[in-house]
Amino acid sequence: MTTIAHATIVMERTYAASPKRVFDAWSNIEARKRWSAPADNIRIEYEAADFREGGKDVSRCIEPGNADYVATVIYIDIRADQRIVFAEDVVHGNTRVSSALISVELTPKDAETHLALTMQIASFDGAGMEQGYQFGWNAALDNLAKEFAQ
Amino acid sequence: MTKRTTTHATFVIEREYPHPPAKVFAAFADPKKKARWFGGPDDWEKSNHQLDFRVGGKESISGGPAGGTVHAYNAEIWDIVDNERIVLAYEMHLDAARISVSLATTEIKPTATGTRLIYTEQGVYLDGYDDAGQREEGTQQLFGQLDAFLNT
Repeated sequence: MTTIAHATIVMERTYAASPKRVFDAWSNIEARKRWSAPADNIRIEYEAADFREGGKDVSRCIEPGNADYVATVIYIDIRADQRIVFAEDVVHGNTRVSSALISVELTPKDAETHLALTMQIASFDGAGMEQGYQFGWNAALDNLAKEFAQ
Repeated sequence: MTKRTTTHATFVIEREYPHPPAKVFAAFADPKKKARWFGGPDDWEKSNHQLDFRVGGKESISGGPAGGTVHAYNAEIWDIVDNERIVLAYEMHLDAARISVSLATTEIKPTATGTRLIYTEQGVYLDGYDDAGQREEGTQQLFGQLDAFLNT
């Protein structure tokens, strides 16, 4: 018998960059590969990347000693420099472990950009994926700041 | 630039049915059965309901009052466990405007007397067109139609 654990996680950051630069760091696949890996020993490889409404990404999160996490993303709502909404499905090994609805909102704040990331998660493996989202996205959003440091 | 807003919310609808899980599941999985209950009010003009019930398959329906705003539902199925679980993501449009995106999970569990159904919808409501209260009300209406379908 399966049980689903639902959770909502909100993360916020302020970046020293314009909304356009922050948006570009999401839309540009090379930039995203740099900042989205949550730790030095974790690598992200893309098997498909298509950043447009209705487009699909398939990425593989590779960590030594652990089965890969394969995430399939479908972009549903994209408003340049303002908002990205996507649905994501994660498979670990042969098991589907979660689905999530994720929204990214960018708001200009003086010369900076406020980013709000809201993850609405349905986990199929107990609380494991909720913790995974917490860890992974906290680290990724911290990394994203480095894209604008110069 | 259009002012963009988002509102995030979750609601849950629960049901107990005196029917086996397979019968409740079939009301979602069998396109002919789902078309019997899944749609707007009787007096709306409606498109055909389309459902390709498999992981990666799509579902759609649209409709509205005669000559009025067209409400369009488009879904993609993310996960299916037969007789236990359905996960899908869907978007709603009012005419050309995308008003919401939702992740909807349907859990079907056997009980001593039949089936417990737990429907959870996690949604983001866009640009002030809709809110979780309205969506929950509309979804309750749909579940009323499901009740009537299952109990006849």
